[in-house]
Amino acid sequence: MTQTKELELLIAPEGIIPVLTFLKDHTNAQYKSLADLTAVDKPGKPYRFEIVYNLLSLRYNARIRVKTYTDELTPIDSADPVFKAANWYEREIWDMYGVFFADHPDLRRILTDYGFEGHPFRKDFPLTGYVEVRYDDELKRVVCEPVEMAQEFRRFDFQTPWENFPEHRLERQEAEQPQLSTGDNLSKS
Amino acid sequence: MPQSAQYRINAEQITKQRLGLVEQETDVPTLEQKLGAGQIEEVIKQAEDELSLCNKMQDWKPWEPLQTPSPENQWKWP
Repeated sequence: MTQTKELELLIAPEGIIPVLTFLKDHTNAQYKSLADLTAVDKPGKPYRFEIVYNLLSLRYNARIRVKTYTDELTPIDSADPVFKAANWYEREIWDMYGVFFADHPDLRRILTDYGFEGHPFRKDFPLTGYVEVRYDDELKRVVCEPVEMAQEFRRFDFQTPWENFPEHRLERQEAEQPQLSTGDNLSKS
Repeated sequence: MPQSAQYRINAEQITKQRLGLVEQETDVPTLEQKLGAGQIEEVIKQAEDELSLCNKMQDWKPWEPLQTPSPENQWKWP
C-alpha cells in the first residue's frame, strides 16, 4: 500500500512472469488489461532502474501496480507472452533507458531518430543531447553535427527555494551531523 | 501441488463453489445471477484461465520460500 492507498507489489525481477500471469488469470484478480509499463531511473539505488507495471481489472474495477528492478546489464523477462500490449512499451523502455528485455519478439528502438545513440531518459544523459540538426545553406541539405553551446547556456540552476521532499530532511541532517561535530572539535583544539 | 499451498486453497474453494452451483442449477439466467461473475461465457473463460494458470503454477512453485531477497535500500523511499 502506498501513501495514497494504491495497491503496489514490489517483486524480484525473476518473478515478473509468474506474478503478472497470476494477476491476469486468477479468478479473483483478473487484471486483464496492462494500462501502462514504464521505467524510472534512480541512480543512487543498488539496481538503478525500476520497471513499473500498471494493471487494470475491468471485472472488479481495480488497479494494481507491480514494481521490479534491474540495471543496465541485467536482462529482464519480457512481459510480451502475458500481455501483448507490453511489446511497444518494452521497446520504448529499451529506447529511452536501455533496459534489455529477454525473449522480446521485436526489440528495436521506437521513438528516437535514425542513427540516434544513447538512451535519453537516463539521468546521466545531457539535457542538450549530443548532436544537433540544422539546414546548411552551402551544402543545400540538413546536416547533423555535435552540439556546440555558448558557455552561458550551460549553467543550470537546479536549486529550488521550496522543500520538495520533506521526508529527506532527516537523512540530510544525519549526513551533515558528523561534519558539524568534527568542525567543533577542530575549533576547540 | 501441496495441500497447504495458498494458491491451491483459494483456487479450489472458488472452483468447487462454482461447480456446485453449476450442478444445482439448470436455468442459465438464474445461474448467472447466483454466480455473480458476469455472463456464463465469461465464467467459462475465467475457469479456462484458472486452469491454464494452475498448470503453470506447478512449474513455478510459489509455495516455496522467496528465491531472491530484495537488495538493501532498493525500495526505500521516504
